[in-house]
Amino acid sequence: MSTIVERVKTLFGPEMAGPGLAFLAVVLTFGIASPQFLSVATFGSVAFQLPELGLLTLAMLLPILTGGLNLAITFTANIAGLTLAWVLQANGGVDAGPGAFVLGSVLALLVGAASGVIMGLVIAFTRAHPILVSLSMMIFLRGLGEFLTRGGDVSGFPAFLGPLGHGSLLGVPIPLIVFIACVFAWNLLLSRSKLGFNTYMIGSNLDATRYSGINTRKVIVLVYARSGAMCAIAGIIMLARFNSVRIGHGESYLLITVLACFLGGVNPFGGFGRVIPVFVALVVLQLLSSGLNLVGANQHLATAVWGLLLAGVMVLRFVATKFKISFVRKET
Amino acid sequence: MIRKILVAALATSLALASSAAAFAQEAGKVGVVVKIGGIPWFNAMEAGIKERGQKLGIDAFMVGPTSADPALQVRAIEDLIAQGVKVIGVVPNDAKVLEPVLTKAKEKGIIVITHESPSQKGADWDFELASSTGFGEAHGKLLAEKMGGKGEYAVFVGSLTVPLHNAWADAAIAYIKKNYPDMALVGDRYGVAEDVDKSRSTALDLISAHPNLKGFLAFGSQGPIGAGRAVEERRKIGEIFVLGPFSPGQGQKLVKSDAISGGFMWNPKQAGEVFVTLADKLMKGEEVKDGDEIEGLGRVKPDFDNRNIIVDQLVPINKDTVADLAAMGL
Repeated sequence: MSTIVERVKTLFGPEMAGPGLAFLAVVLTFGIASPQFLSVATFGSVAFQLPELGLLTLAMLLPILTGGLNLAITFTANIAGLTLAWVLQANGGVDAGPGAFVLGSVLALLVGAASGVIMGLVIAFTRAHPILVSLSMMIFLRGLGEFLTRGGDVSGFPAFLGPLGHGSLLGVPIPLIVFIACVFAWNLLLSRSKLGFNTYMIGSNLDATRYSGINTRKVIVLVYARSGAMCAIAGIIMLARFNSVRIGHGESYLLITVLACFLGGVNPFGGFGRVIPVFVALVVLQLLSSGLNLVGANQHLATAVWGLLLAGVMVLRFVATKFKISFVRKET
Repeated sequence: MIRKILVAALATSLALASSAAAFAQEAGKVGVVVKIGGIPWFNAMEAGIKERGQKLGIDAFMVGPTSADPALQVRAIEDLIAQGVKVIGVVPNDAKVLEPVLTKAKEKGIIVITHESPSQKGADWDFELASSTGFGEAHGKLLAEKMGGKGEYAVFVGSLTVPLHNAWADAAIAYIKKNYPDMALVGDRYGVAEDVDKSRSTALDLISAHPNLKGFLAFGSQGPIGAGRAVEERRKIGEIFVLGPFSPGQGQKLVKSDAISGGFMWNPKQAGEVFVTLADKLMKGEEVKDGDEIEGLGRVKPDFDNRNIIVDQLVPINKDTVADLAAMGL
């Protein structure tokens, strides 16, 4: 019995406690409050809404683990989306073939990564605070996008893109499949690769990491490049879901991604945090928002409840760690 | 232990908060997603939706996203689909973004009604409370009446690139030209009406330059306010008439002092009522037919090809109505 508990513990880690309990609380509360909540339709709705926000959260997660932040995620995603949109338009718009889509997606990923590389280089070499650097990048990309599109939207895509945003494969929404694949990739990156290990090290102590012979600048650039590429994937999914690209799409997601990371137990100062708890935190946020919609609550109330949830989880975590410490002290 | 208590407390407080709102009704639900929640325009619309819903015994409610991001509207509509509503109403932020999700709703057998988005793809019907010609002509007619059918007038628009304002101006100018040949347009139209100060200074310049100027027609939320202030400053109240659509709350004082003679708008509360009325009609399986009398819309002449119902249900803003409209927070 205790071995199973231990295995679960090591698999999910201590960060899982907050989001896990919140998940149970939300499911129970809404399950009681609304008979429609525990239905296939609700989970279908959640499954379709989760991916775009989730992909952006993954993009936010890596920089936060290094003790930074990437405020440019939504605009990077849309600039990447615009890249794909233009490639599709240049190749016949509605009649564009799969080849154009593949080419456009590759270019979109490159554009996203390039935006990350620039941020990474500035952060690594000037040691300016990531908030400042990514804020500049965010303003730059927003202005660039508004200049290039005149604030309007680009649309007219081939029909085969529709399923990427709204289709299902064996009953599972395709955007969700993409998202889950990305979650696994990120989990693998962070738990099994050298880059992942170095990411945690930098977040814990940048100077110590550098003195131990790791090229921290390279790691930071690589981290932001991956964050940018993940934004591009989000941008491609958003293009398919919204049937158009406008530089302001999904603007409101920015702070929610930060919220999801913290709710998932990621340390705001970097160094600690895992992918799976963040995933659960995202599901909790989405269930909460869909649940409140279901019972017909005001949308502003939903935002307020999100804030309360975050504050609540922070308090819980504080209490939990304090208890643990005093418990250990007593024993020794 | 403390964690458990806290979680339990959180859960019960959530349950209490939500159970008050959770009353499942079998008769079809109507959900209306608007551009953004918590602003006066859509608060008035929500009041209309609620009142009409109560009257007809329909569970009708409004969903107001926390920002005007089209992505949030898509999410709200997906939740409405999951909730199993019978009718979805939308005031779109971005017509194209909503196409796929509205099509999805229609595939599930949900009736889709839109407002302020003519010829929306994926909608069963779109309704408008003001046509661009009707709106422009109403202003042109009122100006001509105030000016006694003769004299010079100037036209402001929000910007020369705002299609709607220019369509209104076109209609007003054409109407005046046709019916009141003694009235003359001064200069071309001026793209200043989204800026109070620009409207005011342009109006002051025009008053100086054209001694025979008797009227301003300003399409754009700030135009009538700016021109009205200019008229007040030059003590020309009663000689120069200012007309146009504006926010009643903002222009109340100027209307009371006659610096602004009036204008027209459409009533968001009425739009909210129409959402529910139309939803009720369509849920019952009735069709919208040519010449139908629909409450809130009057006699309709639907455009069956583009699925538009466009009527002119204009609300005059003048000395008598401005206080009530302002009290609604508009």
